[in-house]
Amino acid sequence: MKSQVEQALANLKSGNPEDVERALEALQGVVYGFGMKVCGVREDAEDTAQETLIRLARQLKEFPDARALAVWLYKVAKTQCLMSRRKSKFAPAQMLSLDALMPKESGPAAPAMKSWKITPEEMVLNKELRSKLEAAVLALPKPYRLVLILRDMEQLDTKEVAEVMGISAETTKMRLHRARVFLRNALAGYVQRAQGKDHA
Amino acid sequence: MPDRHCKQIFAMLSEYLDGELPVKNCRELERHLKGCRPCIAYLESLKTTVEACRSYKAPRAPALSKQVKAALLAAVHKVISIYLSE
Repeated sequence: MKSQVEQALANLKSGNPEDVERALEALQGVVYGFGMKVCGVREDAEDTAQETLIRLARQLKEFPDARALAVWLYKVAKTQCLMSRRKSKFAPAQMLSLDALMPKESGPAAPAMKSWKITPEEMVLNKELRSKLEAAVLALPKPYRLVLILRDMEQLDTKEVAEVMGISAETTKMRLHRARVFLRNALAGYVQRAQGKDHA
Repeated sequence: MPDRHCKQIFAMLSEYLDGELPVKNCRELERHLKGCRPCIAYLESLKTTVEACRSYKAPRAPALSKQVKAALLAAVHKVISIYLSE
């Protein structure tokens, strides 16, 4: 993501019409992708990308580097997503407790403790697991979902995520861990089933 | 995850995966992992989940409509011309 934003900023500032067009398309891709992950609705992602790019075009001068542009883009896109008309799709805001997320079973035979043989790439290529991953992300309460998407999918660092979210680095880490555990637990049953099918 | 120590370790797993855990806690966690297979299995599955998120690509964006593209280009060129004339 960062290299895309870096290249786009250089293209935008070049003033060359073809480069500017290429930059806008690249940034639209970044913001649309983020919007899809956060909202899960194509129309909302399109609105998010459009509104964000319009604001960007007006404020272009204010970005000294790609980091500043990336943080700004995600901040604006995040606000646009939250304001989207179809926001009822968001899970109700609630706190995730680490205690409640911690597996209760013990011993290597317990389902929660079984090893996963599947690779991350296989997970994403497996149609069922991919859609379960998308559904689990969308089932996360909003504050956790945004942190997980920014950190693990958009691959911002902890400090950048904290800046986009307007929270401390500590809160960012706390939300991230709970979101990851929530996701891992939501996927565990499907992973075991997919592994079972492969070995049948 | 049966004991209290597992519970403490469980809270540190993400920071450990991200290389953001203080050295002292890192040593404590690694010592625990040596003797706790359920915690190792859980850590590995958490790592797979994080890496799956990193590998995940959202669907491609549809092309911008002609009107939107034209408006954006006009706005960007206006800003750039002001910027260059300063």
